[in-house]
Amino acid sequence: MSGRVRILARLRRSLSEESGISDDARREAVAARLRLAGAQTAPVPEIARTEGAAMLERFEAKLRGVDATVTRLGAMADLPGAMVEELRARNLPRAIRMGEEPDFAGLDWSELDATRGVGRLEEPATLSRGLCGVAETGTVALRSGPDNPVTLTFLGETHFMVLRASDVVPGLEEMWARVRRAGPMSRTVNLVTGPSRSADIGQVLQLGAHGPVAVHVFIVED
Amino acid sequence: MTHQPTTPQFRANSRAAIADGGLQEQMTKALGNSMAKRAYASGALPEFDQLRDAARDLKNHTLAHLDLYLEAYEAKVQADGGHVHWAETAEDAREIILNICRSVDATSVNKGKSMISEEIGLNDFLEEKGIAPVETDLGEYIIQLRKETPSHIIGPAIHVTVPQVREAFRTHHPHLPVDRDLEGLDKLLLEARAELRAKYFEAEVGITGANMLIAETGQSVIVTNEGNGDLSQSLPKVHIVIASIEKMVPTLEDASTVLRVLGRSATGQEMSVYTTFSAGPRREEDPDGPEEYHVVLLDNGRSAMVGTEFQEMLRCIRCGACMNHCPVYRSVGGHAYGWVYPGPMGAVLTPSLIGLKQGGQLPNASTFCGRCEEVCPMRIPLPKMMRHWREREFERQLTPAGTRRGLRFWASAAARPGVYRAGARLAAWGLRLLSSGGRVRRLPLAGAWTEVRDFPAPEGGTFMDRYRPDADGKRRGKR
Repeated sequence: MSGRVRILARLRRSLSEESGISDDARREAVAARLRLAGAQTAPVPEIARTEGAAMLERFEAKLRGVDATVTRLGAMADLPGAMVEELRARNLPRAIRMGEEPDFAGLDWSELDATRGVGRLEEPATLSRGLCGVAETGTVALRSGPDNPVTLTFLGETHFMVLRASDVVPGLEEMWARVRRAGPMSRTVNLVTGPSRSADIGQVLQLGAHGPVAVHVFIVED
Repeated sequence: MTHQPTTPQFRANSRAAIADGGLQEQMTKALGNSMAKRAYASGALPEFDQLRDAARDLKNHTLAHLDLYLEAYEAKVQADGGHVHWAETAEDAREIILNICRSVDATSVNKGKSMISEEIGLNDFLEEKGIAPVETDLGEYIIQLRKETPSHIIGPAIHVTVPQVREAFRTHHPHLPVDRDLEGLDKLLLEARAELRAKYFEAEVGITGANMLIAETGQSVIVTNEGNGDLSQSLPKVHIVIASIEKMVPTLEDASTVLRVLGRSATGQEMSVYTTFSAGPRREEDPDGPEEYHVVLLDNGRSAMVGTEFQEMLRCIRCGACMNHCPVYRSVGGHAYGWVYPGPMGAVLTPSLIGLKQGGQLPNASTFCGRCEEVCPMRIPLPKMMRHWREREFERQLTPAGTRRGLRFWASAAARPGVYRAGARLAAWGLRLLSSGGRVRRLPLAGAWTEVRDFPAPEGGTFMDRYRPDADGKRRGKR
């Protein structure tokens, strides 16, 4: 406790007593700033303000730019079939690991070995439901929880993510708005921008350092 | 590994680094296009400079209210079931972490990349206490095997060549077949991946750093490309975040502003691969994630910087752009700086954290070319602050006697225009005398400089001679 008291006292001495600004005024400034949560006070770049078809196009282009792959699906019901195709094309076993996501629960997974639960030591392919896609940077935002165990995002060798087209937002600002609307803050909010990578050996960029070697995003038309 | 500074030997360290041909070659290769990448990424975003202004302003606001934001942040962490520990010194932080590890009988600890952990010398300490720290960032893993310290704040192993990585893996992975193929870079990456993958499931505690702490939500943020920090925090029973107090930002929107300048400045990425916001332990219904969440807030000299001419240094977001652009860093590498933080940011921060007597050499390691300030996303006036340190070093008589005499001689000449002008005329005459064909090939007292380049011979008189009007009132200027 004493460390806390001393650190705060030292800061207060410099910031309040020596600066001549009253603690009340400083408290009001902090409260005012925190009330602004949800509103961006800094400039929002133009690349974070796309709309409609251009926004979706940008999202897809940005995903490809960070070495992810994308396919569009007509309906959520097409997901298991598309997954079988993707796994076959990638020479992966016909098995997928996922959470208790309600969108996946009603689908016909009989063509695959679909299991539910957390990530294990070896996970050739995992599936997550993204909360939203960010067109600004090709980022997918995920909330951890029973629907989306966080370990699936990092242990899958190939990580599949599903979004609806209406989940795609122009920039980080709208992404935070949706995170806030989604309910109490989850243990983690994970922003994923392409597959894992490292240039620590020989300064040559290689994919799949610890996390997924490949990332694939299904965008389901609404 | 160790945090015993060799900063007082900066000059000797530098000389050794410059004479080390292997290191020179590796540094040239490693830093290769880092400047071009940043230039391209920042140039592609028209609002980049406006965002830098906004990032600077939001951090200035936060620092001016840091005590209050820390309190607000602490309350949020606690509301989510997390624990906040305040560490005034490196020793306090080590003890706090040890106690948490012991409370769950930890024998091994997984670590995401953290410069604060280097600052407090955590690995050596944990090893002494019988707890095995495992660095999981690939670069940190390589230097842990080689028993080295990081030489760059975001690329800790940039000084290590590929054959050296191969050798380290052969030595430290004795359980693997001796005749295995480690030729390709992909083979090396796969081996490290497999080695570390198993370890993620063994450790009882995972330690990560934090790029930011968010007062609004009580979240800690890590920004990585590999995913090791996420595996380190999601699989063990306990997640410890170690963060210095200045990592605070007010809101999620403020975090977005910092993220928009961070990746572009560091690696030229618009967004790093994994940006993770963590708050508290796993929720009741969660199937994975840590059961305990601890944040260790480290001061270690930072609160004493607030209110001084070094406060602006606390805006630093550790992107590494200043060192990538520094001619001194690029010549001597990170280890020559002798402690945890190298390059221009290290030259300013180090004396604040370990004292001017220990770290006072580093602010002299600059040509004041100004590139660091030019590229700093947080617009930190690094050269100005290095100058402040030099002044203090002089005032406290820590500057070597020869340099002091030289400076005093210079000051007395510079303060007397007549003496100064006569000296300048003498110097111009002397340089002309030493020159041939418009070049000076060798200079007394500047042999190291002229060894690799020529000095241009003066073309005419001194500046003042040429500036003085002629009898007819015209300035002579260039003929």
